[in-house]
Amino acid sequence: MVQAAAADEVFHALSNPTRRRVLERLSAGPATVSELAAPFDMQLPSFVQHLSVLEESQLVTSSKRGRVRTYEIAPERLKVAEDWLTERRRSWEARLDRFEQYVKQLKEKETEP
Amino acid sequence: MSEQSTVDPKLDIVIERFIDAPTRLVWEALTKPEHLKEWYMPRAWGRVANAEIDVRPGGVIRIDIAVAGGQDVPNLGCILEAVPMERLVWTSMLFPGYRPAVFDDIPITAIMTMRSEGTGTRYVFTALHRNEGDVEANKTSGWLEGTEIATDQLVAHVMSMK
Repeated sequence: MVQAAAADEVFHALSNPTRRRVLERLSAGPATVSELAAPFDMQLPSFVQHLSVLEESQLVTSSKRGRVRTYEIAPERLKVAEDWLTERRRSWEARLDRFEQYVKQLKEKETEP
Repeated sequence: MSEQSTVDPKLDIVIERFIDAPTRLVWEALTKPEHLKEWYMPRAWGRVANAEIDVRPGGVIRIDIAVAGGQDVPNLGCILEAVPMERLVWTSMLFPGYRPAVFDDIPITAIMTMRSEGTGTRYVFTALHRNEGDVEANKTSGWLEGTEIATDQLVAHVMSMK
């Protein structure tokens, strides 16, 4: 249940192009709010709300030194999304493997004299 | 609990309306995502892209706004009080679950109260601010104008629910 709630937060955070671009930028290294906001044509309070969604999902962390707030990525949290996707892929691959086996069997039956 | 906050005219923005509908419907319109989507955003400016609300102290309030330019603006906060048909209080100073959140934003605490008056409801929305600078910013940025329009849309929406 805890994991499901975490997946909700993480996928919600990832569902927005502005927030994904912020994560891409933070993958290169920590940045301040104004550095992060610079490429976006958006009011600062609106932009800060995006940062708050990211921080709530725990995909990023922030710290304040003096008047400057700096953000950095918390990559271990991306594992929540990665694990969920891996699990889906694994079950589909298992299904496809079974399908392949089944088709092989049909083929063998057909070629039996 | 309801007397714990006093309005400070320098720091608070108060919007009041009489709605000719029972408090039950006003409460519904304030607390159900499908209703929030109908009135929360001035229609000429955009729409609500996504609304989520868990009506209990510590619960989430999340209303994502989509504006005409195409960019989404999220709003995220924590519910502090939820007294059905009387009072709903939330703040953007906290994340859901009371988790502390500190941002260089313009945070508010919103107090929405409703009281039976004749056959209708007296609805009062109060936004508490940190300081006069934040109040000024909210008055000049369009926030206040948008909130006034949204409140009128709330009134109209509640009337359509009757």
